[in-house]
This record gives sequence, C-alpha cells and structure tokens, in this order.
Amino acid sequence: MDILNPAFWTFVALIAGIYVIFSLGLYVQFSLAGLPNFGHVAFMAVAAYTMAILVVRYSVSLQVAAALGVAAAVCLGLVLGIPSLRLRADYLAIATVAGGEIVRYLAMNLPGLTGGPLGSIGLLGPGNIASYNQEWQGLLDRLTAALSIPLGRSATRDLAMALLVWALAGTLLVVFWRLERSPWGRVLKAIREDETAATAVGKNVFAFKMQALVLGAVLGALAGLLLAWQIGVFSPDDYQPTLTFYAYLILILGGMNRLWAIPVGAAAFSLLYSGTRFMDFFPLSLINSGSRAFLRLFLVGLLLVLFMALRPEGLLGNRRELLLEK
Amino acid sequence: MLEVTAISKRFGGLTAVSEVSFSVEAGSVTALIGPNGAGKTTVFNLVSGFLRPDGGTIRFAGRSIDRWRADTIARAGLVRVFQAPRVPTRMSVLENMLLAAKHQPGERLALSLFAPRRVARREGEIRRRALEILELIHLQHLADAYAGTLSGGQRKLLELGRALMVEPQMILLDEPMAGVAPVLALQLLDHIQQLRNRRGVTVFVIEHDMEVVMSISERVIVMDEGRVIADGSPEAIQNDERVIEAYLGRLAPDGKPEPGGTTP
Repeated sequence: MDILNPAFWTFVALIAGIYVIFSLGLYVQFSLAGLPNFGHVAFMAVAAYTMAILVVRYSVSLQVAAALGVAAAVCLGLVLGIPSLRLRADYLAIATVAGGEIVRYLAMNLPGLTGGPLGSIGLLGPGNIASYNQEWQGLLDRLTAALSIPLGRSATRDLAMALLVWALAGTLLVVFWRLERSPWGRVLKAIREDETAATAVGKNVFAFKMQALVLGAVLGALAGLLLAWQIGVFSPDDYQPTLTFYAYLILILGGMNRLWAIPVGAAAFSLLYSGTRFMDFFPLSLINSGSRAFLRLFLVGLLLVLFMALRPEGLLGNRRELLLEK
Repeated sequence: MLEVTAISKRFGGLTAVSEVSFSVEAGSVTALIGPNGAGKTTVFNLVSGFLRPDGGTIRFAGRSIDRWRADTIARAGLVRVFQAPRVPTRMSVLENMLLAAKHQPGERLALSLFAPRRVARREGEIRRRALEILELIHLQHLADAYAGTLSGGQRKLLELGRALMVEPQMILLDEPMAGVAPVLALQLLDHIQQLRNRRGVTVFVIEHDMEVVMSISERVIVMDEGRVIADGSPEAIQNDERVIEAYLGRLAPDGKPEPGGTTP
C-alpha cells in the first residue's frame, strides 16, 4: 500500500471517526466536568466483550447484544462513580486506572467467560473458532452494495464503515455541542471550575458528575463496539491502557476545551497511527518492521510532551482561558 | 427564620462547636462574632449543610434541615457566601450569574435537548434578572469578562450577586469585608443593608470589624471556644463582661480596639 492509495486514506478516516467518538466520551468527562478518567478503555472493552459473548454464546441478535454492551459499560461507570465521585477528583482517577486494568486482567484470566488470552476467537472453547461478526459484516456488505451503485468499484467495505462511523460521530458531535452550550453544560463547567461554588448555588454536584461519567461511558462503549466490528477479532491486549492515552492525546492535540477540535485531533492522531508504516526510510529502515510499529508509541509520547511544553492550548485552543488561575 | 438548637461538631478530639443554640429572626441583620477559632465558620458550615452536625437540630423556615444536603438547603432559600470568594474563574461574570438561577429546565439532560423553547424562554428571564442584579452591583460592564480577571473585591460583589440569583430568604455572609478595598467595602456594606431593606432578605453575617458590626446589625451573637457566650443587642453586647473578657478584652482606653485586638 502506498501513501497515494485511497484505501489508506479511507482507513485513516475510519479510525479517526472511531476515535472521535471515543475521545468525545473523555471530553464530556474530563474537559466538561473535570473528571479525570484514566481507564476510559475499560468502557470499550466491557461493551465489546459483552456484545461478543452474547452473540457467540447466546445467539442474541446484534442490536440487542450491542444495546446490552452499552448497558454493561454504564454499569461499570456506576460502579466506578458511586464510591468515588463524592470524594476528591484524585479518587476517581485512582478508581478508573484500577478499573481499566481489572477489566483487562479479568478478560485475560477468565477463559471460560472471555476466551482468555486468545480473545474473542476462543469464546467457544479450544478447538472451535468463534466469530461475533457475521451479522455486522452482512450489514456492511449490503451497505457496500448500495454504495457501489453510484460509486462503482471504489465502494469498499472500509468506505461503507467509514461513512457509518462518521455519520454517528457527526451526529454525536452536534448533540454534545448543543449540550455543552445548554444550562446543563454550564453546570458541568462550574463543577469543573469550583465544585463548592456549584453546591453553594444549589446544584447537586454528585448527580451532574454521575451523568457526565455515564454519558462518557456510553460514548466509550459505542467506540468499543465499532472498533470490535472493524477489527473482527479482539483479545485483552487490544485494550491496553495506551488507548486511554490516545484519547488524551487527541484532546490535547486539538485543544483541551474545544469540542470542534476533537475531529482535528483525531485526524492528526489517526494519520500518525496509520502513517508509521510508511516510515521505512533511512535511518528507520535499519529497524525491522515489527519494531517500527513501536515508533507509534514513541511518537505519541513525544508529541504529548512537546505539546504540553510548547503549545498547551493545542492546535485550536484558547491560550488566554488556559492561563487564568483557578 | 433560623433556629439552631444544641448543635455540636467534633473533629477528632477537638470540639469545634459545642451545644450551640441561637435563633435568627426573619428580616433581621444578625452578626456572629468571636475571636479566631471560636467556631463561627464551623457554625456556618453546619447551618449551610457543608458539614453534618454530630448532634442538635437546625430549623429553617419551619423545616428541619440538619440532615439535608448543602445544595438542597441553598435551593430552599438559605444561601451561603464564602469568606474567600468561590468563583469559577473560567466562566464569564454573566455565566456565573446564570448558573445560580433556579428552575432552569435546561439543566436536565433530556429537556435541554428536546424542549429547547422552554429552556430558551427561561434563559431569557434569567438573563434579564442577572443583568438587573449586575447593574445594581455595578458589574454590568464586566458581564462578558472572565470571572478570573476580577479583583478580590469584585469577586465578592459577584458572589453576593450570584447568591441573589438563587432567590434567597436568608443569606450567610462570612467576613464580607475582609480583604476588600475601602471603596468597594462601603459599596458592599450598602448592598448588604439594601438586601434586607429592599428585598426583605434575612442577613446573618460573620464580621470582625466592630464598627461595621455595631452599625449594621440589630442582634449580635458572640462565640468563644465553640460556645455561645452572649446574645443580644449591640449595646448590650458591648457592655457584657464575658464578651469584654473573651473578645474585647484588649480595648485601649479610647474605646477603639488595638491593632492586635481584633483578628484580621
């Protein structure tokens, strides 16, 4: 594949779209409500696993399984939030870091339920190859066929998926843009800035924070379902804590408190993420391609540090607001 | 308006407030004074629901509020203003005001998405009211400025204005004059008196400046070491021996407190 191939750009767009939804969840929690969630990936994992288990083991239909996947992520949000949201923000940070890792370790170590280290492919036990994806692939095939009427041979499955993902991402961006500007968003902002002030003027801080946490969980779950359907097979290793930091990178790249900067950050991230495979020029060509994949992680870290040091307001942020003291 | 009966609060081994009882009459300006560490702010925290009393009862407007959450108490009309202004700095002055309004359906997720006209109508009412109050406290020209750019005194004014947005029956002011420039302090004092005279809001205030206390309040409650030691008119308080001993003990011969006599 070369850099001029449209298939590459379709893939970049698709991954960017999924990460828009994923990061939007973190935006609601962290940028709007000031809730530091360092285990966002857990919502992805719980939704994907719930969906896959229900489809493979219990032959539940795709829609129902997906809805229950989101519901499971909501439950995880409640479990993390109920004990920690009344306390200082640090406690939620600790709870979410731990929660994210607990989910991944459970997935790894409960092979009877989750397929263990093999992941979704092992859901039916050793010797059987399980797949949760037929119904979704059928749906994509029909969509691709419909697209090929106007587009001919350039209509691919990835293109169909990218359009679907972006339709959802766009809708969600509009919905949350409106919510951010609503009185509801105003209360969240006040809570982020000064919880005591919000309480003193009669706002139930706990309830608002819980709403933000749960909405973020729903968005994380949606991204998790889309990613699972896209990659077709997943294992606990696909839900490393790094994914949460990808979402933070996207928010920071775009501009921490700018909702419309999320697609920009996500596009930049996706390009970086998918583009590392083209870094085969000297001196990087001396490293084998497997190791080169790790450059991605190195670059993510480097960019985070550089942005924090040189441009903390991100690509589109507002520096003046950032410099105000609390 | 407010009836406090035998409330106590312990922090570990320290009894900050011990069996404190007093009442604040509707429509009055009542001052709470006492040396540092007397437990005044703790009493405010207990009354406003930011702390739970270990014992005793608190009644406000005929209802028992000692088990209520702080936000419920505020919505019921007992609003507290902090000693160090608590102002969300990255919100504009106007947003700070709008935030405090009650009955905005748009604070509920579903309504803010699906009932935009109801939300907009209420937002219009709230905005008018907020601008009126901002004009009253002379902050209207700063409506769109970030609250973080205001001076300390302006923040106190904003917090007072914001408290008015909650439509309080009673307001708790914790050292409103502390750290405010003299010009603003006079303005603030005027506003506090207006609050009661024009709006009928009951004012309960912690204040250290004895001149201010004596000039604005009809009743003074004096605390020392977690207990109420005197309660009466400003004149009676000035002549009460226990008060003089505990609090005004270091009066200079000319009757004014010495520089070190009152706490800042």
